[in-house]
Amino acid sequence: MNLTPMHLIVGGVVGLGAIGVYGLLVMRNLLKLVIALQILGKAAVLALVAAGANSQQINLGQSIALTVIVADTIVAVIGLALAVQVQRHFGALDVRALATLKG
Amino acid sequence: MTSVLVLGAIGLPWLGALSVWLVGDARPRWQNFLAVGFSVAAGIAALALLLWSADAIVLTIPLGGVFGDFTFTPDGLGVFLAVVATVIGSLAVIYSVDYMRGEAQLGRYYALILLFIGAMAGLVLTSSLLLLFLFWELVAFCSYALISFHNDDPKAVAGGIKALIMTQIGGAGLLAGILLAYAYLGSYAFDALLTRAYTLPPIVLAIMAFGFLIAAAAKSAQVPFHTWLPDAMEAPTPVSALIHAATMVNAGVYVLARFYLAFAMVPNWATTVMLVGVASALLGAVMAVVTNDFKRVLAYSTISQLGYMVTAVGVGAIFASQFHLLSHAVFKALLFLGAGAVILATGTRDMNQMGGLSKMMPFVRNVFLLGAMALVGLPILNGFWSKELVLEACATCGQDWVYLGLLATVGITALYTFRMVWLVFFGKPRAARAGRDAPPVMRVALGALAIGTLTTWLLAGPFACLLGGSALSAQTAFLETAQVCRQVTGASSTGLALGVTALGFAAWWGRERLSGLTARLQWLERVTAQDFGFEWLNARIVSGTRRAAHALRATQTGELNWNMVGIVGGLVLVLAFVVWMR
Amino acid sequence: MPLDSVEILLVTALLLCALQAVRATRLLTAAIWLGAASAMLSLWLYTLGAHIIAVIELSVGAGLVTVLMVFVIGICGPDARGKHGLVPTWLAWGLVISASALLAALVLPLTGTPVPFIQTSFASVLWEQRALDILLQMILIFAGVIGVLGLLSDRNIPPVIAAFHDQEESVVPTTVEVANAPSSVESPRAWTETPEGKVRV
Repeated sequence: MNLTPMHLIVGGVVGLGAIGVYGLLVMRNLLKLVIALQILGKAAVLALVAAGANSQQINLGQSIALTVIVADTIVAVIGLALAVQVQRHFGALDVRALATLKG
Repeated sequence: MTSVLVLGAIGLPWLGALSVWLVGDARPRWQNFLAVGFSVAAGIAALALLLWSADAIVLTIPLGGVFGDFTFTPDGLGVFLAVVATVIGSLAVIYSVDYMRGEAQLGRYYALILLFIGAMAGLVLTSSLLLLFLFWELVAFCSYALISFHNDDPKAVAGGIKALIMTQIGGAGLLAGILLAYAYLGSYAFDALLTRAYTLPPIVLAIMAFGFLIAAAAKSAQVPFHTWLPDAMEAPTPVSALIHAATMVNAGVYVLARFYLAFAMVPNWATTVMLVGVASALLGAVMAVVTNDFKRVLAYSTISQLGYMVTAVGVGAIFASQFHLLSHAVFKALLFLGAGAVILATGTRDMNQMGGLSKMMPFVRNVFLLGAMALVGLPILNGFWSKELVLEACATCGQDWVYLGLLATVGITALYTFRMVWLVFFGKPRAARAGRDAPPVMRVALGALAIGTLTTWLLAGPFACLLGGSALSAQTAFLETAQVCRQVTGASSTGLALGVTALGFAAWWGRERLSGLTARLQWLERVTAQDFGFEWLNARIVSGTRRAAHALRATQTGELNWNMVGIVGGLVLVLAFVVWMR
Repeated sequence: MPLDSVEILLVTALLLCALQAVRATRLLTAAIWLGAASAMLSLWLYTLGAHIIAVIELSVGAGLVTVLMVFVIGICGPDARGKHGLVPTWLAWGLVISASALLAALVLPLTGTPVPFIQTSFASVLWEQRALDILLQMILIFAGVIGVLGLLSDRNIPPVIAAFHDQEESVVPTTVEVANAPSSVESPRAWTETPEGKVRV
């Protein structure tokens, strides 16, 4: 099988997605979780732009990718603000501190 | 015109429910007036449908997409049951005017009863499987809400929840069958299922048949799902008369009768139906002999009589089962409403504390005796004709155990009925309170039902014609009432049944001389006190479920990482399924 | 199209930076690696032909988000304790690898139908075709700003004592809560038959 650029892109998207999900599964620090979410967002942006490039509609792909970047950034900002409040409220940034819905 | 009548039969009670609720509890006389008015209007609409019934779809509400069309077909079977629901419903509402006088939250009561009447009419008039299920669930909700009407009484609440859970388990079977029908036939219409049932793979048809049977057995309180009906007697008596004797418990028999043609060819299905029917008939009758609570005797009697109807469907005698349904609805409602008058007068439900009431309550005694004689199956009353038809159909079906079981039940029915009437109305007066006779508004309802008990058998001929139009089995061979009468009086099973009835009477009359026999049957009394082990089974199921729920709490850790495990795990499962299907 | 060595380099660099961003123990290092990953991604997007998005990704991802993270790390403290995760590693690896493999199996026979080239400019597509998206982004930004203002306000909220600081972590919660679950519903034996002595009238 010969590698085309499309294979590289699929590999990149799946790889980034896997790394992001792994981070969400394993990391306990809230800021690390924000980083993992950012990486997942990058996978989405890459996939959208590559789809646009592949179907000769690069501008449509860019426009949708723009929305994704904006939404992703806002999620990161609010996540960071939440992290600051959690630090003030609970004293640490651990995910275990937020387990009040247990049981 | 027909579509307007259909909408009237379903929509007028719902309008009534809304208006009663809006009027508010501060004006009970307005509430009574509105409730009675709307329910009587619905009864008139349903009676008018008798003249205008049609076999085609008269009303379609197109919803498109996956819901299909909501269609209504007022054919013979549906219209007849709609008439039963609305007319007996209006009589129960009239009775409630006196029975519930002075109760709090009357608006909630009337609204729920009217909602129920409309939903029951809709259940039998629709011809879309999905709409059938919707009305089925609506009726179950109204039943639960009315059983728990006195929601500060823990027994009522427990009874309501038990009824809800058991009928909902049956509802799951119905939903499974309906979804399978849609998946394989592509439509929710009754016609699609009835005409193309043979195109389904046998295993799918078997699952559907037994799913529908489970739903019908749960709704009609048949073995093994019968334990909710006696506990549902915590409801106010008009509710017991309407929902748990005359209408909702008939929904299961209706479903079996409607889809009999589709499922009759499934191996062992008809035999299972007959087994369930005979077991319920026998079990209900035996339990009724030893019970001391007035309403519980009637509840067990309902289970037993429904067993007759279910057995008749299993044998294939659809006309006999529906005719018995009509008779049973009338005389059982009469018995319940009469019992309500007695309970109101004496302040107790324990039969051992009643007695000698025949002097103090002559009107109630008379109507109750009429209903009791119909229950036993004495000639001229409607119960006689319909029960003999059922027995005769079972005698000629080729399976002797069915006929013997029902015949034994006839004798036991006579025994418990006579016992009930004797303990309440005759013998030495043991009541703590002197009983007043029934108030005038109650007498209207009781009188109307008594007249019905004497006369509904005369409608056998037109009723058969009505049923003959619907797509039922070919046993609707009667064309007029006289034919029915000739057939019944000429059959040998009639003489046999009357003989067994006499035996039952004699057993109670000579109970002192039979005391040796009853002493040796003490073990039976202990077993029936435990409800033949069914209550133990219920308790085990409930405790098992709660233990499993406690054990599953360990999965709710509240930590984000474990939630992510759930999300990604679900994603893996979905992806695996998609890749495998490709 | 022949494979460019630049693209292979970019893919490897991107994945490496992302991996390091997740695995780094110090938060500051992780933020820097994230910025580097953004830069690699923006280069790759440029080679794909999405010039405008490449610039936006660079400025937002490598610029804005990195600065924000450094700022917040400054507020919250480094918190460099390396605790092991709550989910067992084999489970995490297993799930991730199976999900990726299934996704690749779903996508990979890459057949596509050729589509004619549509000559439009980015501005016309963005402002005319995707006008609803732009409205959505404005609402999102507005909501985000209000949310942050509300979150970071100076209200005096009493802090909850986090009692887990020095606990040794165990994956399964303690069984005390499970055993103490109150059974507030009546036991099933309340359903047995009793003739009713008094009745509601």
